[in-house]
Amino acid sequence: MAGSLRLLRRDFAVQRQVVGAIMMRELVTRWGRRNLGFAWLFCEPLVFAFSVIAVWSYVRAPFDRGLPMTAFVWSGYMPLLIFRHVTSGALESISNSAALLYHRRVTPLDLFLGRQGLEALGNLASVAVSFVVFIAIGAMNWPENYSLMLFGFLYTTWWSLCVALIIASLSERFEAVLHIWPPVSYLYIFFSGFFILADWLPPDLRRIALAVDPPLHCYEMVRGGLFGDQLMHPHYDVAYLTFLLTVLTLIGLALVKDVRKHLELE
Amino acid sequence: MIRVAQVSKDYHSETGGGVHRVLTGVDFDVMPGEKLAVLGRNGAGKSTLIRLISGVELPTEGTIASSMSVSWPVGLMGGVGPSMTGNDNIRFVSRIYGKPFQAMRDYVDDFAQLGKFLSEPVRTYSAGMRARLNFALSFAVDFDCYLIDEVIGVGDHRFQQRSYEELFVKRADRTLILASHVPHIVRDYCSRAIVLNRGRAKTFDDLELAIAIYNDL
Repeated sequence: MAGSLRLLRRDFAVQRQVVGAIMMRELVTRWGRRNLGFAWLFCEPLVFAFSVIAVWSYVRAPFDRGLPMTAFVWSGYMPLLIFRHVTSGALESISNSAALLYHRRVTPLDLFLGRQGLEALGNLASVAVSFVVFIAIGAMNWPENYSLMLFGFLYTTWWSLCVALIIASLSERFEAVLHIWPPVSYLYIFFSGFFILADWLPPDLRRIALAVDPPLHCYEMVRGGLFGDQLMHPHYDVAYLTFLLTVLTLIGLALVKDVRKHLELE
Repeated sequence: MIRVAQVSKDYHSETGGGVHRVLTGVDFDVMPGEKLAVLGRNGAGKSTLIRLISGVELPTEGTIASSMSVSWPVGLMGGVGPSMTGNDNIRFVSRIYGKPFQAMRDYVDDFAQLGKFLSEPVRTYSAGMRARLNFALSFAVDFDCYLIDEVIGVGDHRFQQRSYEELFVKRADRTLILASHVPHIVRDYCSRAIVLNRGRAKTFDDLELAIAIYNDL
């Protein structure tokens, strides 16, 4: 018992070492050492975020159903950015780094955690930077409940990583995933909660949506934290969301465990 | 020791729906310190067998058990990231195996003699340079068993001498499994051989007999 525990701890230490090495490698190969280097990790999404938000706040009325427009767009766009970036890069990401799998210490899960984990961290950093900037220039008010908002973003990230892990594994087995994913990720804008609050839905539809749509809970947490109970009535269930994401995580882990069988290395 | 038991490997056809059976019922043991050659024509399954022993790929049927630390397949492909520089590869390998970077860099620099090319991406290297880097990295990590896929033949005379010295003088006690179709390299390095033909494997204790049979294939 003590022996297997020690073994587990050693495995965990090795995995941390490997995931760290993959992240460092990812930083260097994707953004290089020159110019802004790895600052691009969070500058890149920031450029997107600022331009989209600028255009939106200009074309739409400053308040929509009592909510400040800029803050509404920011809280809609940033979680979308996390989801899109974390998931889109996951397709075939394991076979793209297959050269590293020659080292038996490197598992497909390590590759996933290193690459998509770094992507998630970069996007969270860009959420933080844009948040600070928007507050500083007075485009947004300080959130009513910032820990709720923070948890909303963390759950968004967890949700995105679950989906990314599942499609990363499936895309190595079924080529169809590569073709189905782009339209799905486009439609995601409509069913995720980008444009809406759960409160705006008819009660029956809302019940169904909350039962099957994890990102809706995430959006409700982010916006509930940002706007507070005065401006909106958030609908979310952290326990249920945690349960759904745990199930998805287990599915993802089961799938990625099998990936090595389906890889054909050079 | 390493025990390869009733191992078969299928690959899916890229064009049709069928499968190609590359290895069928391969069965042999490798004792510690043994130097084993894997002989076979191009496409006979040498690289596949090496990859299966390393654990990089999994067998379709059968099992491979190993009680020693086994290197990655040291060859022209894999092990190093082509878009990374030589130095980045050293850093990566030193991190995943938990070895100090500077010592590893010094060793690789001395063995591979890549000089200023260490700060260039590996994809710009010649075949011989890649072989040197991959060899140097695997020696720097220090394994009980080295899996070498063809690659010795790629290097020049000086490199072959250095490899021989590393494998036989400094690491005489280590196990070696070497895939090759070059008889003189096999004679230099190995004492036993497996001959692969049409997916089947036969083990020979008499190396010269194995080479003679291989030449007749």
